[in-house]
Amino acid sequence: MSEAVTAFSESAADYERLLDAVARSIAQAVGDACVVALRSEDGQTVTPVAMFDADDAIVAKFAPILNVSVPTGDAKLVTAANKGSLFMPMVDLDQLEGHVHVNLLAFARSIGVHGLMVVPLRSRGAMLGAATVMRHSSARAYDEIDLELTEHLANHAALALGNAKLFREQQRIQEALHHSEMRRVAEAQAAEANRFVDAILENIPNMVFVKEAKELRFVRFNRAGEELLGIPRAQMMGKNDFDFFPTSEAEFFVQKDRETLDGKKLVDIAQEPIQTGQGQRWLHTKKVPVCDEHGTPQYLLGISEDITERLAFIGELTSARDRAEAANRELEAFSYSVAHDLRAPLRAIDGFAQALLEDYASALDANGQRHLDRIRNAAQRMAILIDALLDLSRVTRAELRREPVDLAKLARIALAMLERSDPERKVDIIVPGELPARGDPKLLSIVFDNLLGNAWKFTARAEHPRIEVGCKTDDGERVYFISDNGAGFDNAYRDKLFGVFQRLHKASDFPGTGIGLATVRRILERHGGRIWADGEVGKGATFYFTLSEAP
Amino acid sequence: MSERVILLVEDNADDEDLTLRALKKSNIMNRVVVTRDGVQALDYLFMRGEFADRDANEKPQVILLDLKLPKLDGLEVLRTLRADPRTKLLPVVILTSSAEEQDVIRGYDLGANSYIRKPVDFTQFVEAVRQLGLYWLVLNQPVPGRS
Repeated sequence: MSEAVTAFSESAADYERLLDAVARSIAQAVGDACVVALRSEDGQTVTPVAMFDADDAIVAKFAPILNVSVPTGDAKLVTAANKGSLFMPMVDLDQLEGHVHVNLLAFARSIGVHGLMVVPLRSRGAMLGAATVMRHSSARAYDEIDLELTEHLANHAALALGNAKLFREQQRIQEALHHSEMRRVAEAQAAEANRFVDAILENIPNMVFVKEAKELRFVRFNRAGEELLGIPRAQMMGKNDFDFFPTSEAEFFVQKDRETLDGKKLVDIAQEPIQTGQGQRWLHTKKVPVCDEHGTPQYLLGISEDITERLAFIGELTSARDRAEAANRELEAFSYSVAHDLRAPLRAIDGFAQALLEDYASALDANGQRHLDRIRNAAQRMAILIDALLDLSRVTRAELRREPVDLAKLARIALAMLERSDPERKVDIIVPGELPARGDPKLLSIVFDNLLGNAWKFTARAEHPRIEVGCKTDDGERVYFISDNGAGFDNAYRDKLFGVFQRLHKASDFPGTGIGLATVRRILERHGGRIWADGEVGKGATFYFTLSEAP
Repeated sequence: MSERVILLVEDNADDEDLTLRALKKSNIMNRVVVTRDGVQALDYLFMRGEFADRDANEKPQVILLDLKLPKLDGLEVLRTLRADPRTKLLPVVILTSSAEEQDVIRGYDLGANSYIRKPVDFTQFVEAVRQLGLYWLVLNQPVPGRS
């Protein structure tokens, strides 16, 4: 018996095995068959949940009705046992008709039951069910001791069953608690993540909206969107574009939405007009499909940047550029007509003054002839000025080419031309064998023509004229220089050297247009370089320049 | 025997006088036919309009062509000349105020034989005219059967 009790407590945690143990213990203690039946929680049904008999054939006979619930009203003996054990050592099965479920009665008849005890299984005052023991062998009939033993075992079994049930319930409660805690934590985390995403969405300075994919109704909307449209988001939720925008606009938006969702890819709308509370605005919008795990678009995410101001700015820039280009074309036309139209009358002035000198020389005295000479000189000088101005404007307009160029070669060509134009002059010339650089050969030759032309001109009165071309490295930068020992200039005026029509010498001393150095500076600036000069009156001048190293 | 004339196409009366004077001073004695716009120049060359009855034997030895002309500009005149078999081989010297690179390139592109910029200095102008007269009227061997 103590073995049986131990078995109960050992299997307490395992409810199924415990029930089998109860049936077996009781059957083996008092014989022959034992059926354990439990009442449902609501008391509506009774179910035989375990059965034991030493004879396997009898166990097999019971199998069809094991675990088959019957209405409590059909199991009156079990109900009756609640008030106390039923003890029927000699039983007439016919008398049990109507008190026992038909299945059990048929089973009892089939094995020839002749004695019966029904003992309640009670735990903490609650009726769990009952154990029914049946005598079908020829062994002695049940006596009071059998009943006591059965009740004793049943009490222990009930206690174990009660504990097991409690344990199970406790476990269920614990699991439920655990689950609810987990859920609560998960929910809190999700809520926190949501708040984080919301805060980001809310503070993005562009309009952000989300529409559900089916009917394209708004489900999310951020603050920038509210401010742009001038519509509170509460009004937007659940509505679609046709509720807020002119039909043509709404149709365009929806068409782009569909394009995004059907194509399952980002659609970029560079420029779209939208009617807002502050009038028409222009948006740059990107629409993105948001898909579920099967790749089916569920939402449409849209991000719109208000580009109204930028477009206006671009428009202003474009019209300013158009105006500048028009002005440039006008300047070109002007330059062209200057070349043609201003030179023609000069030619007439010069030509007819010469004609007068030739044809009417006898009618003019020396003074009259000198006047005509001055007219011719003035006309020719004006022609030179016009040409110099045209060169300057051409330098500004010409396309800049960048290619390898040997500056020493350009210097030698310019000096050779000067020597040929003035073969009487003897000038010491120092030019290195090679001065490699990158730039526009045509424009850079104008630089050397001008700078060496100046050096040539301003050394006219020097005792031992000397012109040097060279290059040095200053702070890692290549600096080219052209120096002479001519008339020089006062450094106080060196900033004026490079302006148009700025001259530091009287034309009668050294002829010049006052445009050459302005042209030189413009060429070097177009190359990304600089020019500066250093001089001393009577000692000479040095012009330095750089070229940008850009390719 | 055909007469070796010079065709001067020039709308500016001053330039016309100066050119004639320069030719004279350079001892170039050929007769100079002057037309004052592009249409008149083509009329002369193709014997149309006022020149319908001119002597067909009279053929220009060289054409001195200004670029900026009324009605039809010099480059258009040049294009028309070069497109016509009767005139496509005529020597054409562009004589103009413009030294715009584009004008020079287009002039040569359309088949000009020479491009001279009129200098303001009359002495230089006379020298230029003298040289071009010497070259085109004396040194240059014309296309056979043309003169």
